Amino acid sequence: MDLLNRLASLDPDIKLKALREVKNQIIGNRTKKLAFLKLGAIPAVASLLAAAIAEADSQLKNGEVTIADKNSNYYNNNTFIQSAAVLGSFACGFDDGVRAVLDAGALPYLIQLLSNPDEKVVDAGARSLRMIYQSKLTPKYEILQDKKMEFLLSLLNSESENVTGLGASIITHSCETSLEQKSLSDAGVLKKLLGLLEGSFSQRDASLESLAALFRNNPEVVSKFVGQESGSALSSIIGLTKDRYPRTRLLACMCLIVIRNSSPFYLQDVGIKTKLLYLSLELLDDPGEVGDEAPFVFSSLIMEKEDLQKLAFEANALEKFSNHLQNSRLHPKRLQGILLALADICSKLESCRYRFLSLEVWNMVTNALTHDSAGVRTAACICIRSVTRSIKNLCAGYFMNEVLVIPLVQLLNDSLVSVQVAALGAISNILVDFTTGKSTFVQCGALKQLIQLSKSMESTVRLNALWALKNMVFLADDRCKEGIFMELTASLLASLICDHNPFVQEQALALVRNLIDGCISSVEYVFTENGIILDAVRKQLESTSKAEIGIQGMYVLGNVASGNEFHKEAVMQQLLPQVDNENQSFIIKFLQSNDSRLRTAAVWAIVNLTFPSSPGAFRRLIKLRSLGIVPEIRNMVNDPCLDVKLRVRTVLGQAVIFGDGLT
Amino acid sequence: MPVRVVETSAPSQISGAISEQISPPFCTLLSVGQTFSGTQNVSSLQKDEAWRVNVRIQGYDLDHGYLCGTMEALNVPMADTPVVTFWEGEIVDGKNYTFFTGKWEASAEDDIRHWTKFPSFSPFLCQVEVDGGKSLDLSNYPCIFLRWKEQYFVNVGTDCGLTIAGFYYVCFSCTDGSINGFYYDPNSSPFQKLELKSTNEGRSGFSFSSYELQ
Repeated sequence: MDLLNRLASLDPDIKLKALREVKNQIIGNRTKKLAFLKLGAIPAVASLLAAAIAEADSQLKNGEVTIADKNSNYYNNNTFIQSAAVLGSFACGFDDGVRAVLDAGALPYLIQLLSNPDEKVVDAGARSLRMIYQSKLTPKYEILQDKKMEFLLSLLNSESENVTGLGASIITHSCETSLEQKSLSDAGVLKKLLGLLEGSFSQRDASLESLAALFRNNPEVVSKFVGQESGSALSSIIGLTKDRYPRTRLLACMCLIVIRNSSPFYLQDVGIKTKLLYLSLELLDDPGEVGDEAPFVFSSLIMEKEDLQKLAFEANALEKFSNHLQNSRLHPKRLQGILLALADICSKLESCRYRFLSLEVWNMVTNALTHDSAGVRTAACICIRSVTRSIKNLCAGYFMNEVLVIPLVQLLNDSLVSVQVAALGAISNILVDFTTGKSTFVQCGALKQLIQLSKSMESTVRLNALWALKNMVFLADDRCKEGIFMELTASLLASLICDHNPFVQEQALALVRNLIDGCISSVEYVFTENGIILDAVRKQLESTSKAEIGIQGMYVLGNVASGNEFHKEAVMQQLLPQVDNENQSFIIKFLQSNDSRLRTAAVWAIVNLTFPSSPGAFRRLIKLRSLGIVPEIRNMVNDPCLDVKLRVRTVLGQAVIFGDGLT
Repeated sequence: MPVRVVETSAPSQISGAISEQISPPFCTLLSVGQTFSGTQNVSSLQKDEAWRVNVRIQGYDLDHGYLCGTMEALNVPMADTPVVTFWEGEIVDGKNYTFFTGKWEASAEDDIRHWTKFPSFSPFLCQVEVDGGKSLDLSNYPCIFLRWKEQYFVNVGTDCGLTIAGFYYVCFSCTDGSINGFYYDPNSSPFQKLELKSTNEGRSGFSFSSYELQ
């Protein structure tokens, strides 16, 4: 392109003019940015910058300043300013641009501009770097390295607004660990940032964001900040929640929420909670970026906090978000934020789910399952997952319908693993169905997909597919179970029980547990293919140190032991210690576990093995005594957990029936 | 890693290590999937009658004191098929619910009158009369007290001639999984008794399955 040729011109005037033209064309114009990027404009501009820096450096080395030098100084400075502006503009809100600027090696050159004697050059460099440091793609600034901390502090101490703003942006971008937070705090950065809260609106905003980065999950830094200025530091931020700029109000709100979430001592009273809630809801009405970000700020306030979800419910947050949802031309980021906020409000309270369902915007959520943006599709799944925690509605089969199930099942083929996993989460809940819904699910081909996903290379996918299957098998009728087992096969189940990922093992064991509950003939499943499943269960129980695996495995054995004589004898075989192994059964370590759920599961198996109505019960009791199991159980007669204690007494009560004097 | 939610059938840790716990303990015999069968006495002055009843637990949320399930009444004279209802339960845990009902036309006197019909309630009578039992430590008591309220008919219409206007005062025994209850409805005969035992559905022993919500 002609413009790029002119950039390469030997004539400095032409070069400079071309630079200005590129700058003017790309500013705020994503299409132009992309077009120029494809033509290689960024490396070209980066080279110009590098060349200008090299020339300026060599002049310095020469010492004397001639008229020619002064001329080239003028061109150099302008080149610095214009190329910095161009590179910054490419990086502004445009990921591909950021990548290209970094790949062109421009970052160190821009940093060099900050030491230039000319204020305008410094400013241009700082502005450009601020845009680059807004992107997650930019590599982390290693705050803890010697010279780096010094340099960062010098930025914060500068007279220039853009340079202090850059210092704050770097902190926002790169301050992550508690050590980094502490080091910055110890270096006096908190005081500096507090001062910036009184500065221009740009300085205030930059300061609020970097303070949040310093506070995040660090109660010591929070306390140190709040202690400044005789306790009025916090009031400075609270005051900014009433600022006339919406962005400042949003950032102040966000910063206060971070303080609240990071320290139990501040901002915990109902007054401030309510204020923050209403503020984040009000900011939703902003038509621009502030409104796009408001739902995320709202979520950070209420996430995992039942009291705040209740307050949000009372503040009609559900209605507010639902009204926004009805706008058909939502920016994807805003739609994603709204869906996630709805998910958070409905995450714990049935009253919230009930109210949300009554607002009749459910179809908006299901529509979002086919959105172009992966973030929106994932958020829709997460919203559905929250709402389908409504046990009452699950029992009524409310969610098992085509409108919801078909698009969710389609997402199991999504190109992104994160979307598949989110869809599996929602499907797992819907499959807890007490009506005839499960067979509908099988009929629409979804079962095959779930089983396919249980063989995925990604362990989170395997784990979540098994979770869905586990819920599906729960109380399923015999035909449904048979259908599932034929597709899964004993070999696949056995290999999943022995998966290298313990969470996958746990889900596979829980699935088998559910499979063999119900009609007594279901117990036979663990004996198919020469008992390959039962062997796998035993193998895991012998080697595991994870309570959850012990619990599910023991319930599998316990369920088998509730069957007939053959089944009970098979379980006895599993309990026998291996000849070449340690000389006690694995069940003894479970009976001694700190986890009461595991102790309970282990004792239930023994209850079943010694169940009085079965012919071989007495013989098994004798054997269990010789294995040291009954004496171990006798020691548990005053177990601190009531459930365990009662089951232990059941075993001992059953033993008394045989009059063996074992108690 | 998926998030585990509170509505799991087995809570994350009930080892007695939580010092503030005064709520009733978790009991495997009252977990999801568990079934019970027995009778509901529906006698009136005119006749002596009892229906066979099966109950299944479908949902359990310890943190919110919530339980739900179905109740199936067999040999109901007015109906050709068994009548199934869906009920929701309140667990008396001193946190979410006390022994005082506070709704469903049940006064505090009605509450006391019914709870005292359960022998296992007697140690609590004095305290309950004072504050509804809010300050009682129920964590080691081998009984769980509940109220069950039927919400709707699952398989018949509301014109089937049966009523679900009232609710049950229930006492569940953690020891053997037996359930006793009294139906309360100001418009029906008083103290209609529900007596259920934990069933093994043809097995010789106890079998447990479970689901987990994400």
